[in-house]
Amino acid sequence: MPLVSIQNLTVALPVDADRPLAVEDVSLEVGRNEIVCIVGESGSGKSLTAHAIMGLLPGRVAATAGQILFDGVDLLKLSPSAMRKRRGRDIAMIFQDPMAALNPVVAIGKQVTEQIRAHRVISEAAALKQAADLLGQMGLKNFDELLKAYPHQLSGGQRQRVMIAMALSLSPQLLIADEPTTALDVTTQAQILKLIKKIQAEREMSVLFITHDFGVVADMADKVAVMRHGRVLESGAVGEVLGNPSHSYTRALIAAVPRGESQLPPPPEARPLVEVVGLTKRFRRGGLFSRGQVNTAVDNVSLTLSRGETLGIVGESGSGKSTLARCVIRLLDPDAGTVLLDGADIAHMTPGELRPLRRRIQMVFQDPFSSLNPRQTVGDIITAGPRIYGEEPKAARARAADILRLVGLNPETMNRLPHEFSGGQRQRIGLARALMLKPDVLIADEPVSALDVTVQAQVLQLLDDVRRQMNLAMLFITHDMRVAAQVCHRVMVMRHGKVVESGPTRDIFAAPSSEYTKALLVAIPGRNEMRQNI
Amino acid sequence: MKLHYIAMRLVKTVLVAIAVVLLSFFLIRLAPGDAATVMAGQAGYADEAYMKSLRAEYGLDQPLPVQLWKYMDAVAHGDLGISYVRRQPVLGIIMERLPNTLLLDAFALLMAAAGGIWLGSIAARRPGSLLDSANTVLSMLFYSVPQFWLGMMMMLLFAVWLGWLPPFGIETMGADYTGLARIADVSVHILLPGTTLALYFMASYARLTRTAMIEVADQDFVKTARAKGISERQVARRHILRNALIPLITFAGLQASILVGGNVLVENVFSWPGVGTLAYEAVTSRDNPLLLGIFIVTAILVSLFNLVTDIAYSIADPRVELGR
Amino acid sequence: MNFARRFFSRPTALIGFAVFVAIVVIALAAPLLFARGPFAIVGMPLLPPGAPGLPAGSDVLGRNMMIGLAFGARVSLLVGISATLVATVVGILFGALAGYYGGLVDDLLMRVTEFFQIIPAFVLLMVLVAFLQPSLESAVIGIAMITWPQVARVVRGEFLSLRSREFVEAARTLGMRDTAIIFTQILPNALPPIVVISSMMVGNAILAESALSFLGLGDPNLLSWGSMIGGARSAMWVAWWTTTLPGVSIMITVLALNFVGDGLNDALNPRRRH
Repeated sequence: MPLVSIQNLTVALPVDADRPLAVEDVSLEVGRNEIVCIVGESGSGKSLTAHAIMGLLPGRVAATAGQILFDGVDLLKLSPSAMRKRRGRDIAMIFQDPMAALNPVVAIGKQVTEQIRAHRVISEAAALKQAADLLGQMGLKNFDELLKAYPHQLSGGQRQRVMIAMALSLSPQLLIADEPTTALDVTTQAQILKLIKKIQAEREMSVLFITHDFGVVADMADKVAVMRHGRVLESGAVGEVLGNPSHSYTRALIAAVPRGESQLPPPPEARPLVEVVGLTKRFRRGGLFSRGQVNTAVDNVSLTLSRGETLGIVGESGSGKSTLARCVIRLLDPDAGTVLLDGADIAHMTPGELRPLRRRIQMVFQDPFSSLNPRQTVGDIITAGPRIYGEEPKAARARAADILRLVGLNPETMNRLPHEFSGGQRQRIGLARALMLKPDVLIADEPVSALDVTVQAQVLQLLDDVRRQMNLAMLFITHDMRVAAQVCHRVMVMRHGKVVESGPTRDIFAAPSSEYTKALLVAIPGRNEMRQNI
Repeated sequence: MKLHYIAMRLVKTVLVAIAVVLLSFFLIRLAPGDAATVMAGQAGYADEAYMKSLRAEYGLDQPLPVQLWKYMDAVAHGDLGISYVRRQPVLGIIMERLPNTLLLDAFALLMAAAGGIWLGSIAARRPGSLLDSANTVLSMLFYSVPQFWLGMMMMLLFAVWLGWLPPFGIETMGADYTGLARIADVSVHILLPGTTLALYFMASYARLTRTAMIEVADQDFVKTARAKGISERQVARRHILRNALIPLITFAGLQASILVGGNVLVENVFSWPGVGTLAYEAVTSRDNPLLLGIFIVTAILVSLFNLVTDIAYSIADPRVELGR
Repeated sequence: MNFARRFFSRPTALIGFAVFVAIVVIALAAPLLFARGPFAIVGMPLLPPGAPGLPAGSDVLGRNMMIGLAFGARVSLLVGISATLVATVVGILFGALAGYYGGLVDDLLMRVTEFFQIIPAFVLLMVLVAFLQPSLESAVIGIAMITWPQVARVVRGEFLSLRSREFVEAARTLGMRDTAIIFTQILPNALPPIVVISSMMVGNAILAESALSFLGLGDPNLLSWGSMIGGARSAMWVAWWTTTLPGVSIMITVLALNFVGDGLNDALNPRRRH
């Protein structure tokens, strides 16, 4: 008998939701001592399925049909208090964002002991000792200090380790992990994945792992279930599903995962259009009444960029890659260094001198939801630029129609408001806004990181097409090595504000010269498995 | 590090005090006619020589910066001037009344906070229930009523018609109670003005607690708490309420400052012998030094309350490290 | 329009709006209906409501309370609305500059704002009005002076969060000028909370005005609800209507405004509803 057997589970959404059912007729098994991954894009119902097992469906969402057998007992039929006794003891769960998942005003130690003492009669001191022990098993050091610390004082990886320690404190039979590494940097992600795998093997427990990333599936899963629109499309052993997917959607998903291998040829030699020399940006914290701390976000960075090429800036959070981009486009004023555009130093121009040159460098932003003014129509948004430079509104709208077609949108969408569009469509609108000014340089700041993987692939393709058609010089900011490999001719790896190394993408992927780049490459989820399987 | 924060906040408090004194100095210039005209008016005659001697006595014939300097110097030494009407040092008059005001304020603050948080947390548990709606309507009502009028209506109801509580003052005149009897007497007298003050704020506390609790209940760590398998009561108390109460600290500080300056009306309605009634007397008798003295003292008190609030906040919320 | 439907679908908002409109009509029509004005003595003092020609009774001096209540609405609305307008304009100016430019500008402006929030508001109001001499103008100036920081704080918060939104950054990279960004990009998005807080502030300003008048610091040439209550204090023991009716008038007006504000809040931020 499998540990968990979900049979024909249906979860209904409140009447005012955009669809009646979140999960529809889902059947799924998790055996003992195995890792099962549920993989799917946003809205697939994968997370609600996991929450249903835990008995933690949000307020107005309810399981309306089916069974969830756990060790033979139907969890859906248990009374709230009986379910509560099982939660944390038999089934434990860890969540996507460990910062949000930990109580910000309670010390770590107290949060761990609370879990233990909810199910066992044990003194606080003894529970604390046990907590320290658990933190040690999670690879954390200095646990005496850690137990007294508050969540905000820990790093993202430490917080997720604390969450895992907490979840494992009563040796549950099943661990549910709901996108546990999505909010983490890639190197941290690799460590956490390894930790979960190691603990699973040591304790011979079952893990239900929710993810959107086929790379992670390849690394983690024994079995996998692919979900879309609340249904399971296919499931089976991981090698089978990855190697020989039976459903076309699964094939599309797998194909859309960037490979982490560079296909682009080295860049053509050309006179640089943009030359950045010795760029430095520092941030001071604190106001009139507190001492300032200085943080050097970008430290003496130089780069060149020519027409027709894409330069990728790769780094984890806090590497300064976004700050660098914002200095180049003068959303921020650099503290030192020059930014030459066609020989003119735009880093030190007054706002008045800079304004006429602004149109030559444009930007595509990360967040599809905040990058468009919610109160303006698409037409107004994308013709705002030309109108600033005196173009007749009529002419601008005519051109806008062409540009919308170019980015793959219907020109009739011009009178609609941004909230009527999906994330991918919004990114296209953002790109159209930039292209309306016929820029020479396009800066793309994590343009696909908020998108589902299939949409990601389309937007990346579009960016590359546009770059070629308009002969743009493109600066591509990303945290994802796989994405960088797909669209960049050259990459520059950044860490703590400094350039670690840079060169043609092919060379860097084939033979990284720095330890850090090697670590980044190794950390790419599913790197080896995916390559073998396809 | 914490000490550094407190030191910086103290400096800020002193700066605020200086700004208040500066502002009041210029407010004096705003009033038509100077102190001499007012006092001459009160004395009933105003010949040039007398006015001149008055001006010399009060330093009004000196250049403005010199006057300002002398004024600041005097205030720094606790000299807030002499009341025009009572001919006594202003500070002494205020200090005599201050304990009564603080007593009334403390009563109102505690009653409002305790009652409001209790009501709010009940309402938050069942949003949309009858009790929740009643709570919302009542808070709306108390928000919309002038406090002085609410006081008068309470007096009409409980003191005049029902005769349960004494309508005026802080204690029974001429009874000369001592010890416990006196405490009991004051307790009875404080009920009407105290409740009047508290009702308005209780409504705010209830609303704030309700909103904060509903907001916190949506957060991930509450889900974590449930995933641990602890009881709903513990989830509510340890995780939801504990986080929801933090913003209330700020509100309590705000309330303290509104109370110190704002109970002028309620004290006045109930003839409570505090700083509020004193301020009213000062306004009606055009006793400018007294009025400004009250302004300065209350402002300094309020900025001290703010200091306390900030420190309390930084203790309650570990994320606040040494001030933003 | 979607917004109006959302607003009027709440019964409280509908009632509040209707009552508010009725009060505005009464205030505007008062001089036409009662040509003799509120100070005219019409009969015996302290006649109860329902006495001939006196639906709301007469006050201590034998004046028609009905007329007083109608004229009181003029003062309350005039002071409430003008003080709020002044405070809102000043608050938007301070908040927008502080929130948009940040840094030193923000520090300086917020210190000033904080200062006005820290000093005891009502004492400052009393001092100001007493020193400026009680009048309609001094009440408006005084009340605006103690309420503008609220607006400034809200506006600053909105600007601070909107300023770093990517659509604002996009506008900057397009080459838009700061003034254009503030007025065409940020302000329209910051407007909902400003509208809500302003509607609530009118109510608070009316309360503050009534308190001033109650203490005898209102315009001596105008009869207002607060001064009616203040003038009838000695009579409240024998003639309940002299203090109760003006108080109820204030309550109804402010309540109506708060209902409107609440309705606006829900209609403008449909997602924040619980």
